Amino acid sequence: MRTTIPGRVIHAIRRIIPLLCAAALLGACAPPEPPQLNRATLLPSAKPLLDFTLVDHNGDSFTLESLRGHWTLAFFGYTHCPDVCPTALSMLVQVRRKLEAGIPSDELPEVVFFSVDPERDTPAQLATFLPYFHPGFLGVTGDAGQITILTRQIGILHAKAEGAGDSDYLVDHSAAIILFDPEGKFHAVFGVPHDPDLLVPDFLAIRQYYEASR
Amino acid sequence: MTRIFLSFVLLAFGWPVAANPYVTMENAWVREAPPSARMLAAYMTLKNTGMRECVLVAVDSPDFRHVMLHKSEIVDGMARMIHVDELPIPAQGKLELAPGGYHLMMPAPETPLSEGDRVEFVLTFCDESTLRVQAEVRKKP
Repeated sequence: MRTTIPGRVIHAIRRIIPLLCAAALLGACAPPEPPQLNRATLLPSAKPLLDFTLVDHNGDSFTLESLRGHWTLAFFGYTHCPDVCPTALSMLVQVRRKLEAGIPSDELPEVVFFSVDPERDTPAQLATFLPYFHPGFLGVTGDAGQITILTRQIGILHAKAEGAGDSDYLVDHSAAIILFDPEGKFHAVFGVPHDPDLLVPDFLAIRQYYEASR
Repeated sequence: MTRIFLSFVLLAFGWPVAANPYVTMENAWVREAPPSARMLAAYMTLKNTGMRECVLVAVDSPDFRHVMLHKSEIVDGMARMIHVDELPIPAQGKLELAPGGYHLMMPAPETPLSEGDRVEFVLTFCDESTLRVQAEVRKKP
């Protein structure tokens, strides 16, 4: 005995299938969910920056263009700082090592130390400071006004400490680590306290979200 | 200040100044720094086994021009270092000098220190007693 499907059922299936296909297609094209982050704050949309002219510890010009083509982890400090800055740089060495185990070397973020004490942090001073932590770390310094052009766009504060009169003055400075994306835009902030076991997964999640959103 | 100066003079001439019987030191270390670093930091744990608070009022060293007591703090995201005149060690308690907090700060010596080198600090307390501390130069804690 042959079983026939009622016509009204066939009609319903013919109407539902296209709807199911459309839903599947929309689901595949839906924007990715923003990542859940440990310590980082992702900007709602990456911020384009005004250009600046600084110099790196090799004596080469360092401008906004220098941030393009790769991710950059940036810390703002000074070489006369004996505690917070060396601790942050040592932490970034650990970050680098953990990332080397997980992503190709040509996709590793650059680590750049921007000096907020250009009076004492000359390119030569930075050249004997940064490579001690890691041969790939870059120190950047320059005209104080140019440094401020960059820092005021990304919420980094810095000032000589009160009572600063002699050659061993201290500098107060923001301790956040700034993330610039491969377009040279201000992308995220890693707040304190810095922990490589939290920063590394945050960076990888931000990077993945960025790639998925393009 | 005169009492502290007198203690240093007596120490310099080898005159016995009372060692503090209650404070002990653990894990004293100086962070190795790049050759061009101008300032260094030292850390340690001080334990007070006595029944009264001990107040650290000065630190001196034959290996550094001078030693200062400092505290790093991060307030509203801003890192700053504050000069501290004295550090109390609670009775039956301890004081941690560690990265990101209290630490000794010294100008770097002319010959850069390397991992494995040892330096000496002399801690002076408010009762003029002292504690000699040997610290090791290390890259990390």
